[in-house]
Amino acid sequence: MVRWQRGLWWFLLPSFGLLTVVLLWPLGYALYLSFFDYYLGSSDRTFIGLGNYVELFTEARLWQSFWTTIIIAFGSVGLQFVVGFALALGIYKLKFSARLFTMLLFLPHIVTPVVAALFIKWILVSNFGLLDATLLGLDITPPDWLGDPIWAKISVILADAWIFTPLIMMVLYAALQTLDQSLIGAAQIDGANAWQILRHIIIPALIPAIIFTVSVRLMDAFRFFDTIYVLTGGGPGTATETITMYTYQLGFRMLDIGKASALGVITLVVVAIILLTINKVLTRIYRRGD
Amino acid sequence: MSMIVTTEKALSKRGQGARKTAPGSSALLNRGQVLLFAALCIFTLFNLIPLLWAVLTSLKHPADAFTIPPTLVFEPTLEYHKEVWLDHNFVQYLSNSLIVSAGTVIISVPIGSLAAYALSRIPRQRSGPILSALFTIRMFPHILLAIPFFVMGSFLNLIDSYVLLILALIAINQPFTIWLMHGFFSDIPRDLDEAAALDGCNSWQSFRTVILPLARPGMTVAALFSLLLSYNEFLFALVLTGVDTKTLPVAIASFGGEDISSLSLAAAGAIGIMLPIVIIMLLLQRHLVRGLTMGAVKG
Repeated sequence: MVRWQRGLWWFLLPSFGLLTVVLLWPLGYALYLSFFDYYLGSSDRTFIGLGNYVELFTEARLWQSFWTTIIIAFGSVGLQFVVGFALALGIYKLKFSARLFTMLLFLPHIVTPVVAALFIKWILVSNFGLLDATLLGLDITPPDWLGDPIWAKISVILADAWIFTPLIMMVLYAALQTLDQSLIGAAQIDGANAWQILRHIIIPALIPAIIFTVSVRLMDAFRFFDTIYVLTGGGPGTATETITMYTYQLGFRMLDIGKASALGVITLVVVAIILLTINKVLTRIYRRGD
Repeated sequence: MSMIVTTEKALSKRGQGARKTAPGSSALLNRGQVLLFAALCIFTLFNLIPLLWAVLTSLKHPADAFTIPPTLVFEPTLEYHKEVWLDHNFVQYLSNSLIVSAGTVIISVPIGSLAAYALSRIPRQRSGPILSALFTIRMFPHILLAIPFFVMGSFLNLIDSYVLLILALIAINQPFTIWLMHGFFSDIPRDLDEAAALDGCNSWQSFRTVILPLARPGMTVAALFSLLLSYNEFLFALVLTGVDTKTLPVAIASFGGEDISSLSLAAAGAIGIMLPIVIIMLLLQRHLVRGLTMGAVKG
């Protein structure tokens, strides 16, 4: 290393020092707490080893919240991807006012998530929401969008899609702009139709971007909290209770800190597995590309 | 993690480029273009209904807000916008939000920039693993961090104080800031550092006098994104604040989520919370993709 670079390690100190205190240490502490039977406020704390983990894995509620998370995550990410990709292509093909559309379509994503969730709630809330009031005005009896177990899941998926589709749209639109135009031109001269160009030129070129956004969104979906908290609070019953929502209930409502920490650790492991899998897939695709 | 990191880098670079001319590049308005434009207009309008509906609701008297079918023509009033800020403590919540956001930005951006600069200048085989580790950290579930913060906060009697929330926000913001600034510093040629070193500057002096002035625009962008993140953050604010330090998202969630009778008030509050964000977004236009691929807004 050159001499002037030696002093650089000091530059890392403030940031990494602080990260150790406010991030690594608390995470370590959470891992430690996950081995205890411990309620906040009570004075006794008993070491129970993997007791919390065993308890969690044997109860139905964890598995139910796990499947709810999977359904909501895949439902909303799938919807976001289809709509986001279509919008990105549309704006890309449009020869004017592209910037105006990107900005307007982007608004739902940049609004405070809690506020965005409230906007959706005021559409869906029974009787006085825009949707119900319109349907009732037409003499149609609407279902209870947020109170019926199945509709509540669909509502949460739609709300999440409303908030996150713009993100996927923006990233794919940016990726589209780097496409090699001469390839498309050549294909057109050879008589390829729009579908063939999409299938054989555009999509293959976008694969890394697609995998990247979809995977980041999937990981986000495992952590997502704000929208569900505002829309349904996990209800009705536990119909929309995701892993994060369940962890929140355990830790901050029942004050069962040990068990909540254990569930947090489990979530971390699940997210890490997704991350590693995606990395593997991306690596394989890059290799094939070379 | 290397491939994820590479992809993220490639994607975030793309956002900066100006728009290339569209295929065909002749600006002739053919039928396809008109149809596409119309379709996008309809979708955009439809997509903005929830937002527009909230704006309308915030301007309505209760008599107009609870009608079947919904009213579109009514006598607008700004009364509820005034009432929510002045009579329902929203001014205090705003100041809480600003204190917390400012505290986060003032600490997080400078130390993150220092670290990012160092990472952009040390050999890649050493900085690579550190950057990957930071990327991985960013993906951890926030709720797992919220638990120990809550427990320690209760022990130290720091629940409902600004300090604890600021520290938590720095923890989730720091990896992002380092990543973003690393991109900006990497764009500044190394020759400049080397020239400064030849002139006898040590690392700090060359950073201070040569690099920092060039990195200002990047730091502004990082500051705005960090501001957005702290202003929008909900989970930590929910569990770590109380009556005195409640931030705007926490306030509006309890206000708008529970009592449907104060719909106009809640809508006015929500619209008010949204306005500063729209301004920040206009300032950040060019950098949106770069920041967003890195998960700026939603942490």
